Amino acid sequence: MHTSRWRWLLTAALAAIALGLMAVGCGGGGDDEAEPAADVKQFPPDTTMGRIQEEGEIAIGVKYDVPPFGFRNPTSGDIEGFDIDFGQAVADALGVEPRFTEAISDNRIPFIQDGTVDLVLSTMTINPERAEEIGFTDPYFIARGRILVPEGSEITDVQTLAGKRVCTALGSTYEDTLREQAPDAELRLVDTYSECLELLQNGAVDAISTDDVILTGMIIQDDSLRLVGDDLTIEPYGGGFAKGDEQFSQFLNGVLEDYKGDGRWAAAYQEWLGQFTGEKQEPPTETVEDALAGAS
Amino acid sequence: MLDLLTDNLDAFVSGLWVTTRLVGASFVVALVLGTVVAALRVSPSVALARLGGVYVEIFRNIPLLVLLFIAFAGVRRGGIDITAWTAGILSLGVYTSAYVAEALRSGVAAVSRGQVEASLSLGFTFAQTLRRVVLPQAFQTVIQPLGSITIAMVKNSAIVGASLLALPDLLKEARIINSNTFQTTESFFWAAVGYLLLTVTITIVFRVLEARYAVRR
Repeated sequence: MHTSRWRWLLTAALAAIALGLMAVGCGGGGDDEAEPAADVKQFPPDTTMGRIQEEGEIAIGVKYDVPPFGFRNPTSGDIEGFDIDFGQAVADALGVEPRFTEAISDNRIPFIQDGTVDLVLSTMTINPERAEEIGFTDPYFIARGRILVPEGSEITDVQTLAGKRVCTALGSTYEDTLREQAPDAELRLVDTYSECLELLQNGAVDAISTDDVILTGMIIQDDSLRLVGDDLTIEPYGGGFAKGDEQFSQFLNGVLEDYKGDGRWAAAYQEWLGQFTGEKQEPPTETVEDALAGAS
Repeated sequence: MLDLLTDNLDAFVSGLWVTTRLVGASFVVALVLGTVVAALRVSPSVALARLGGVYVEIFRNIPLLVLLFIAFAGVRRGGIDITAWTAGILSLGVYTSAYVAEALRSGVAAVSRGQVEASLSLGFTFAQTLRRVVLPQAFQTVIQPLGSITIAMVKNSAIVGASLLALPDLLKEARIINSNTFQTTESFFWAAVGYLLLTVTITIVFRVLEARYAVRR
């Protein structure tokens, strides 16, 4: 008696779950597919651009917790930032909608390789090791490696990091940079820079090292923090895509050229960085080859 | 496949050792706290029994990752200079102790009422009865579930390394190797082998314990 009732309940529950999954699976497709605008170039279907136009959306991996490049707006819940604006420009050039997915430092390269995303725009530095695995666009931003410490810290530069606990993201270029430039520092590798900020604020680490713009984002959140020392590195950010896709590479670099040339780059810089730092910056002019040569 | 292991053997071994120590220390915490809480739950005092019940429900029902966050970020912000190791061992130990307490309670329930009454009528106090008569038999009854709980603890220990605590455990080392080599499949394959080594060893140890000590009813 009891068993049969339970079995019935279980069947009902499983059916409900299955229906729910189907609803999720069906949602988002079909009806709201964006028709490419008339002035957008149509690409042959055997290219990545053509496939994206066919699907009506481009999957872009971005950071969700790195203001001002990619972060969730606390009031609207939307993902916003410098990387997101450029992603929107790429989608516009194809006449499709961007679909942003969170790509942390540790999973963004696998995401490109397994096709989870078409493009990664997530504060990713162009370097030779990564260029073995994925393709890079020309640099769309140049950042510099710095050190962030709490007010009154005895750390003043990379030399004084010896014996101190330094946080950076697992899978970021700073893992290697710090091992080389501060071999006696104690590295704490976490998944996201927001975790580094938590650790710095609760005193579990003494410093954070990463790109100046990411650190600036932290200062915007907590103005008791300070940047110290000289530039550790020059970090040209590039968009990442599947290795060997030359047509997509040319297309993306073309979009970037227009983006830099028609004032949209400068507008995004002012909106996400300039108004906080008071600094001005010209769009980068290097190519991906320059960036790779400079890094080696 | 094998190259990745031989090239990074030091890192894998060090990660396995960190995981082993983490699990070992947490196991001690879980066993001690679990026994105390099980004793509370079966005590004749309603207040103590309820206290034990509240403990179990709290720690069994909060995700381990949340406990880790509270133990490290929360406690540190409260001004206590807790280390990542202490926070990790305490969180994993306390979390697991709730399951140990529940397993032991079922073991206690399996000890016949008559033995307790006999023991009490011979002049033992309740605490003595529990310690000398009931708990030894309870442990013998629950060897198998304790084995399952320990294996679950090995697997849960991976959450400690992936959390804010950033302890360099087996999973963390595998992820660092992955981020340096981009050999995702190989990195995690060898991490899985490492975890299997630990869990299979634990399975064998508990089989032996069971064969030797388990009460058969």
